[in-house]
This record gives sequence, structure tokens and C-alpha cells, in this order.
Amino acid sequence: MSVRTLTGKIFALLIAVSLGIAGLLVSPARAASPVTVNIWVYGNVIEPKMIAAYKKIHPEVTLNIKKTSLDQNHQNLIVAFQARQTPDIAAIEVSYSGLFRDYPQYFVDLRTLGASKIQKNYLAWRWAQGVGKNGSVIGIPTDVGGLAVAYRVDLFKKAGLPTNRTAVGKLWPTWDKFITVGQTFKKKTGKGFIDAGGTMFQAILNQGTELFYKGPGKVDYANPQVKSAFTLTGKALASGISARIAPYTGDWYAGLDKGAFGVTLAPAWQLDYIKQYAPKSKGKWDIATVPGGGGNLGGSQLSIPKAAVHKKEAWDFINWYLAPAQQLKVFKDYGLFPSTKVIYSNPAMKNYKDKFFNNAPTGLIYTTGALKLKPLFTGPKDRAIQNIYGQALSRIEAKKSNTSQAWNSALSSIAQQISR
Amino acid sequence: MNATTMKSPDDEKQSGSGRRGTRVKPKESKPKKNKQTNPWRTQKVKMRRGESGWSYSFISPFFIVFLIFGMIPIGYSVWISFFKWGNDPLDPTHTFVGLQNFCCGDASLIRDHLFWVAVRNTFSIFFFSTIPQMILALGIASILRNPRLRGRLFWQTMLLVPNITSVVAVAAVFGQLYGRDFGLFNYVLTHWFGIGRIDWQENTLASHIAIASMITWRWLGYNSLIFLASMNAIPKDLYESASLDGANRFQQFRYVTLPQLRNTITFMLIMGTIGGLSVFAEPQTFGGSNLGGSNSQFLTLTMYLFHYVNDVGSYGYAATIGIGITIIVMIFSGLNFYLTRKIASEDSK
Repeated sequence: MSVRTLTGKIFALLIAVSLGIAGLLVSPARAASPVTVNIWVYGNVIEPKMIAAYKKIHPEVTLNIKKTSLDQNHQNLIVAFQARQTPDIAAIEVSYSGLFRDYPQYFVDLRTLGASKIQKNYLAWRWAQGVGKNGSVIGIPTDVGGLAVAYRVDLFKKAGLPTNRTAVGKLWPTWDKFITVGQTFKKKTGKGFIDAGGTMFQAILNQGTELFYKGPGKVDYANPQVKSAFTLTGKALASGISARIAPYTGDWYAGLDKGAFGVTLAPAWQLDYIKQYAPKSKGKWDIATVPGGGGNLGGSQLSIPKAAVHKKEAWDFINWYLAPAQQLKVFKDYGLFPSTKVIYSNPAMKNYKDKFFNNAPTGLIYTTGALKLKPLFTGPKDRAIQNIYGQALSRIEAKKSNTSQAWNSALSSIAQQISR
Repeated sequence: MNATTMKSPDDEKQSGSGRRGTRVKPKESKPKKNKQTNPWRTQKVKMRRGESGWSYSFISPFFIVFLIFGMIPIGYSVWISFFKWGNDPLDPTHTFVGLQNFCCGDASLIRDHLFWVAVRNTFSIFFFSTIPQMILALGIASILRNPRLRGRLFWQTMLLVPNITSVVAVAAVFGQLYGRDFGLFNYVLTHWFGIGRIDWQENTLASHIAIASMITWRWLGYNSLIFLASMNAIPKDLYESASLDGANRFQQFRYVTLPQLRNTITFMLIMGTIGGLSVFAEPQTFGGSNLGGSNSQFLTLTMYLFHYVNDVGSYGYAATIGIGITIIVMIFSGLNFYLTRKIASEDSK
């Protein structure tokens, strides 16, 4: 066999194989034939039990879930939009929604698929987080973080404070009172009152009417609301009521179990963390309302990129998964708090009591907080600004800086970094 | 000097005979074929038209892949470092600003305080991880060479286990060990030694040592095996003549093993520089943010780059930081190379 015929044959083989593969890839999906819906998520935005449940209703649809870390997921999306190689469904976290709301052209306007019909089911401020700047609906909210205070009953008793959850909630109508209670707690028990300052800053900010932007393109990170949230958190940290244990670290998980701090500001999804990582503390925790009444931390939305292949199947899944009935099931199974306000009055939610937390009516507590919030405008640089403020606060916490120094240095860092 | 002049004619003879050997061999195996088409002598034979094209096509995959995934991205990042990005990563307006990202305005890299903090931290972590690592790796390799050691294959395999463990998992476990309140290390320090707790994150030096220990744990085994391999390649007769001359084990190590390992050490230092100056996952997971602690006390260069990609969304400036890192690595590698060669030439005098 001569060299030429051999290579010729190899070439022919290669071409045949690659054509075959290409044929498999581009073969058009017919209506009844199996469809694979590609979904990009982080964490458990799509709960495993629900995937199995959907398979029963729609055996022809395969949900292909690609899970990455929170940051990775959104970085991948930014690249995917520009390359027009997107998944069929993308999960977007609220801290990134400010960026994507400026680019509705990359998303399917879900109103064309029937989003307007289901809008009335959802919390208005939460729905607004998935509305693009031109008014098109680019994402449907999954869960609401909500916010409440989880507190250690045993330590509150030791500090001579009330332990009944209603009485505890009445201890702190305002954040100033919260700090005063913290100082008493610290004096009596010698332990840190709150785990760390970062969540407190975010919680106070989210109770306001403005974050770091006045509106599209109008960055306004040093407004009075931000300053007062910063000063208030700074005051709390400078008074030494923080245990200086950042959430989701090894020390924090151990501290939950051993009672290294009295309270943690807990979104609904965080209760599941406490159960999983500090199972021995069952019955030692209880839930009270947050100072200032309402609150929210985190939450996600599901979107369909414009370059998606199976738009209809994607919408069918979103419409099913985020409908009130399914959200109620996810709440019961995983503790994620529904974004559909229509089920808040449902007895299954209203009367829900969490055994782990001394039978606290978590459904009722989180409902009260979630209904009080107003829509907040989020912008593309929110993450950078939030991180720099957070870093400045941890300097106060570590006694490396006082509040006004930290505030000024944060302002100059932000100004410089977002101008680049 | 004498040794080298003595050696060279010898070498020539050896290689000459080797060449002759290869020349003879194919002749014997394919006696019927024309001399001209002998495949072992392609150098001297004029290639047929088309043959040279084929040979390029065989070496082309590497160059094509390198061009697409290496040269084009590098060139592109140099290009975008001349731009100021719009409001966010998706904003299509990119303003050409020339060298302004590099020098010399208020917002330029050269006057970016945090960049220089990151340079300091990166070098500090590099020294704390590389130098102890080299010494320990030499020690472990010497132990593994000991003929009386049992289960050598087992130990060699175990040494590589840290290297195949996920970096993030390693960092997460070490993060727990270095916990301020409930970490194992602080428990040992307070309860066994009475030193008291160390705040591994807030204290600058402590944080560097903590991060360096994660890197050392991961790469020590790998480096030990490289040392071991090149130690095994040292001719036995060198040791025999050394022991005939009355050198003890330490002297053998100092005057035979170490000088023979010079090339390996240079290689490892350069690889260590590239790896060490781009350290990311360990400090990022350790602190849980891209800013490296409350005072950026363990912010590294790659973390700073990632902060601009991920949090700020200014790809232009992020690319500028990337070029900055490249320049620093090049200078440092060059310096390394120069120094090790200088030491080498002084040694042979």
C-alpha cells in the first residue's frame, strides 16, 4: 500500500466520522421526540427531587443540569451571550441581576410565552428583579431569601434576656436597640452576640429604598441610606458585639453547634444550613423577627437566553417549577421560601412549624418580613461596591480602623475601582 | 578546564561511532532498497515534492492549538489592555486609552497601591512556600533513596496523593484547620504549648504562612519525586570514588549529589516561580473573597486580576494586571536563571 492511498483512506474515514457526529449534533428535534433542556445553575437552584418529579410528567424531556460555582456560572453566561452558545435555561442570582437587566436583548421576553398571566402570583418587588430596563420580563423569581433572627435560647437565658420569640422580637424594634441588647448579652455571657457584621450591613440596606444606584447608569454609592447603614453596622462592630466569625466558614459551623455567638441573621435558606451542620443544636435555636421588620438576602431567577434551542420546553419547565404548588413543595422539602405570595395564606405555610427551631412558625415569620419590602434598583457594579464596603467593615471588626476612616477609605477605593 | 578538554574528543568518538551504527543498520535490514530512499538518511536526500508538506502537517497540530489557544488570547489581552471598558462586562463601548492603564495617571497600574500590596503578598507567599519546600523535598528524596527503606513504591505513590486532590478541597480543609476559634492548629497551640490563639487571617505573616503551608502540602511530594528521579540518574561510580577518597555520607551529599542536581533545581525554581506567582485558589478559598482579608493582607496578583474580571467587570484593566504579572514573572524567572547559572559556573571553577 502506498503512502498516498493510506492517507487518503484515513482522510476519508475522518471525514465520514466527523460528518456522522455533526449529523447527530444538528439532527432537528421533532415535537414528540426526546428533548434535552440544558440548564446552567449554581448550588441547588433546581432541587433534585423536583427533577425526578418532572421526569414523571414529561418523560420525553431530559433536564441536563450543569452546576458550577456562583461566580463561575455568571462568568460563563457573560461569555455565552456574546458567543450565542447559551443553555436553554440560565439561573441568575439577584446580585448579578442588576447587570443582566441592562441587557434584555440577550433574553427571551417571557411575556411572549405567557409570563404576564402568572405575574399576579408573585411578590411585586421580587418580580421587578427579573424585569429588563425596557420593561421586558427576563427572569421568573425562584425563592425569596427573607430575613429573620435565629437566636440561641440557652445563651439568652444565661444573659438574663427573655427567651420567648415574641418577647425577643420586641426587644429590638430598631437596629439601635439591637446593638444595646447585644452589649448586655456580651457583658453577661462574655460571648459575641452576632456572628459577623457583613450580613447586618446588607440587611439594613435592603430595608431602604435605594441601594448603590439611583436608576439605570446613575451610580450613587455614598447616599445617606448607605452611609447610615454603614455607620450603624460600624457602631455595632466597634462596640465589640461581633464574634468575628464569618458565615459559612469552619469556625462558623462549629460555632453554630457550640454556641459561639448568640444570634445570626438568617434568610430562610440558611435554616437548612443550621440543621445540616449543627444537628446537635436541635432545640437550642429559635426564630424571631428582624429589627426594622422586614428583610431579604439572596434569591435567584430562571431565564431563557435568546439563543436557547428549546425555548418552549424551557418555558414549560419554568412555568411548572415556579408555580405556587411546586414552590410549596420545595418549601416543605428544603425550606426555600416561595416567591409566590398567593400561597402565603395557605394553611400549609401559615401553620408550618419547624421542629428543629423549637416549633417556631417559620412560615409565618418569613411571610411577614417578605411582604414589607419594596423593589430596589440594582446596578452592574453592585458586587464590587458591596465587596469593598464589606472589606472596610471587617477592618472595623478587626480593630484595624475606626468607622469614619473605614468609610472614607472605602469611598476612595470604590471611586477608583469603578472608574477603571 | 582540563576535564572538559579531555572529555570532548572522547565524546566525539562516541557519538561518531553511534552515528555510524545507525547508518549501517538500515542498510542491513533493507538491502534491496535504493540508498537514496533510505528513510534514515532523509537529511541528505532531497525530499520529493509534497513530502515536506506532509512533514509540516505532522508537527502542525501543536502549533495550531498553540496559536488558537495560546498566541491569539495573549495577543488579544495585550490589545484590550489599551482600552477602558464600559460600565460592565457586556457593555460594547470600549474606549481606547493607549498606555493610560499602565502609566502614569492616578488610575494607572503603576500607581495602584493594591497592585503593589498584591506583589508583596505574592512574593512573600512564594518564598514561604518554595524555600522550605525545596529543602524538605531534598530530604524526602534522600530518605526514599535509602536502600534499607521498605515499601518504597507505596511511599512514592502516597507522595503524589496530595497533588491529585482538588485545590479547593485542600483549601477548605486547611481553612478549618486554621480556624481561629475552633481550628486544630490553634487548639494545639493553646492546649499543648500555651502560646494562645493566632488569628490566621487577620495577621499578615500568619496568613502568608498558612497559605504557603497549603501549597507546600500539595507540591512537596511531586517535587520530591522529581528530585528522586534525578538523584537516581547520578552515576554510581561518582559515589564510589568519593567514598574511596574518604568522603562521609554528608560530604557525598554536599559535593556529589547537590552539584549534580543543579539543573533540576533550576528547573524547579522556574516552574515554582510561574506557579507561585499565579497562586489563586488557596488564598481565595482561605478568605472567602477576592480581596484577600480586611486589609488585603493576603491578596495575590491573580486574585486581584480576578476581582476586576468578576466583581468590577473591567476587562481592560484586568488585562493590564495580567500583563503586569507576565512582566514580573519574566523578570523574576530571568533573574533566577541568571543567578543559578552564575552559581553553577562558580561551582565548577
